[in-house]
Amino acid sequence: MSRRLAVVAMSGGVDSSVAAALMAEQGYELAGVTLKLLPRLETGFGCCGSPADIDDAKRVAERLGIRHYVMDLSALFEDRVVASFVRDYASARTPNPCVECNRSVKFGHLLALARAWGAEVLATGHYARAEGGKLLRARDESKDQSYFLYQLRAEELSSVRFPVGELAKEDVRAKARALGLATADKPESQEICFVPNRDYRSFVRTRLGAEGAPSAASAGGPVVDREGRPLGRHAGYIGFTVGQRRGLGLSGGAAASYVVAIKPETSSVVVGPEEALYARSIDVKNLSWCDGGRVFPERAWTRIRHRHGPALARLERLGEDALRAHFKEPQRAPAPGQAAVFYDGDLVLGGGTIENAVSCVAKKDAGN
Amino acid sequence: MTPTTPSRRPRRAVYLDYNATAPVRPEVFKAMRPFLLGEFGNPSSVHVLGQRARRAVEEARARVAEFLGASAGEIVFTSSGSEADAMAVRGAALRAFESSGGKKRAVVSSPIEHEAVLGALDMLERRGLEIKLLPVGADGTVVAKALPGLLDDSTALVTVMHANNETGAVQPVRELAGICRERGVVFHTDAVQSAGKIPVDAREIGADLLSISGHKLGAPKGIGALYIRRGIALVPLIAGAQEKNRRGGTENVPGIVGLGEACRLSRAEALDSSRYAALRSRMLQEALKIPGSRLTAGPDGVLPHMAHFCFEGVSGPELVAALDLEGIAVSSGPACSSGSPEPSHVLLAMGMAPEIARGALRVSMGFATKEADVERFLQALPGVVAALRRVPAALRP
Repeated sequence: MSRRLAVVAMSGGVDSSVAAALMAEQGYELAGVTLKLLPRLETGFGCCGSPADIDDAKRVAERLGIRHYVMDLSALFEDRVVASFVRDYASARTPNPCVECNRSVKFGHLLALARAWGAEVLATGHYARAEGGKLLRARDESKDQSYFLYQLRAEELSSVRFPVGELAKEDVRAKARALGLATADKPESQEICFVPNRDYRSFVRTRLGAEGAPSAASAGGPVVDREGRPLGRHAGYIGFTVGQRRGLGLSGGAAASYVVAIKPETSSVVVGPEEALYARSIDVKNLSWCDGGRVFPERAWTRIRHRHGPALARLERLGEDALRAHFKEPQRAPAPGQAAVFYDGDLVLGGGTIENAVSCVAKKDAGN
Repeated sequence: MTPTTPSRRPRRAVYLDYNATAPVRPEVFKAMRPFLLGEFGNPSSVHVLGQRARRAVEEARARVAEFLGASAGEIVFTSSGSEADAMAVRGAALRAFESSGGKKRAVVSSPIEHEAVLGALDMLERRGLEIKLLPVGADGTVVAKALPGLLDDSTALVTVMHANNETGAVQPVRELAGICRERGVVFHTDAVQSAGKIPVDAREIGADLLSISGHKLGAPKGIGALYIRRGIALVPLIAGAQEKNRRGGTENVPGIVGLGEACRLSRAEALDSSRYAALRSRMLQEALKIPGSRLTAGPDGVLPHMAHFCFEGVSGPELVAALDLEGIAVSSGPACSSGSPEPSHVLLAMGMAPEIARGALRVSMGFATKEADVERFLQALPGVVAALRRVPAALRP
């Protein structure tokens, strides 16, 4: 009897619980794996691997009658995801830890581990679709997570399954209830899993302080307008994101309402009017193409953040590992460090990291 | 949906994790059975049903005593090996501390003890006692000659395990006990892993206190015993009149009967460790052919039924899961701390580098182990280790 083993990443949430159930229905022999990503944490905050979530995942596995293992990848998670998150904020970028976690942890180490265990596929509870080595948006557009998965290439996609990507969230919950899964009515986790109380500013400060590198990032600096005229002071640029309006404490009026750029070299936060946030084009680096880069797309629907309605752009190649996306319509507040993901309809073509944005307002380069 | 069975593996499961627990031996189950059903009396009851239960308990006590080279009055039943450890360590240290008006406030132990002992030491430390640890060599044994230097008038207790539960390294308990006896210091040894594997004779060792556990011997979980040498007094852990005021709580009669029978069987078999010798040498010969493998302790001076390996470039928990998916049950460390990210405290205490210690694999045999089980394990192991090493180094922590 040849078995078909599937490894299912079970976070202890409803989506991956149902993913496991659906894989079992497809006749796979399953091994559920819960990743412990945060060491020595008494209580988690709805993320992978807090003790309560591990317990939930175990209960679901017991209910489904499948094997379940807890694998501690907290060292890898710390090294690849948390440290680079902190580093990015320190250098005035807006990181995307979910992208990095998917790349290094879930579809990096865990996928390699699943293969080493002899598994045919790795299934997760992501809302996306993997079909014939291609990555597609989820059927439920409001839950689509394909943006976070653009770094998967055909060689990975052929071994990956997203069973809930075909379903709407309410169907997933209904399925979980019908199966009597303990996680059926568990609330969503949407915040960054390793940052307590959603307060990433103090998280980054604490981390930078602990590393003994009280950098410019956590020290104060000037708030300037786009011509460089000082308007006030800020208490450290960590936590400022391009497009942000709150927290400036300025009385500059509409002309100075928004963060339009952060300049780590002078510790300055540049503010300007809302129209200065709009970018005609963005430069994107560290490209990853789902098809391995065989065809460079001339045009693509481009997402510059999760839940951003994709915008049509012409893609101009800038060497091997960079491109400039020229938007048909200017796009609001592309943030360096975030992912730009390219779509052709439902199909994900690939993506990269936003390096800088070129403002529509002619005078000043909003980024760079 | 009907839950499916966890394993649809076609082949018989191979169990090589006897250090975690062992199945109940059929003879043990047979001896216990009446006491789970009709013979349900409380040994403290006046009526004849109670009297029969009491007799069964006392007969079992005699069997355990014979097994440990003790007399029956020196055996107290507990709920587990961990309870026996806690009762001995806390009970003896607190007794000495209290009866000396706080002068005897130091406990000497080792960094490779089981969590049951380490936890009891933590509790004593919070009570204001001082804990001193013996050094451990790279071979996994404590350095006995360091003991005299750690003893003084303040020493309340010395506790060092008989054999380590992870590496199997047998500790120089006779030497340690001898040093203690000369100086009038109480000596406890945790013999949970050694009992049934090598001779455990309390008098021959010279221990004042000695713990054993039922489920490592073929008795069920939930039963243990503590040998308390005549004349040694302990502060009880659980108050009550049972066990001559030494351990409260209605006796676990079926468990006690099971432990008695398991001890009788073990003694009758006279610890035929040659049974394991061939299997283990086969295991070492094959497993150590794998590049980047090493034997953690031994082959001499370790428990005969087991082997502990470290594989470079492999994570122990991932290796254990991989073998489980092949139908082979082994472990990477003590079952109580599996899932812990930290390399084992035992291996670190031996001076092993953390990156080597994380590739730990413990294989332990028992009464039902067959040659075919070992062969299945040895067939699977090289491929599994090689597959796990293919996880790109860049994706490892």
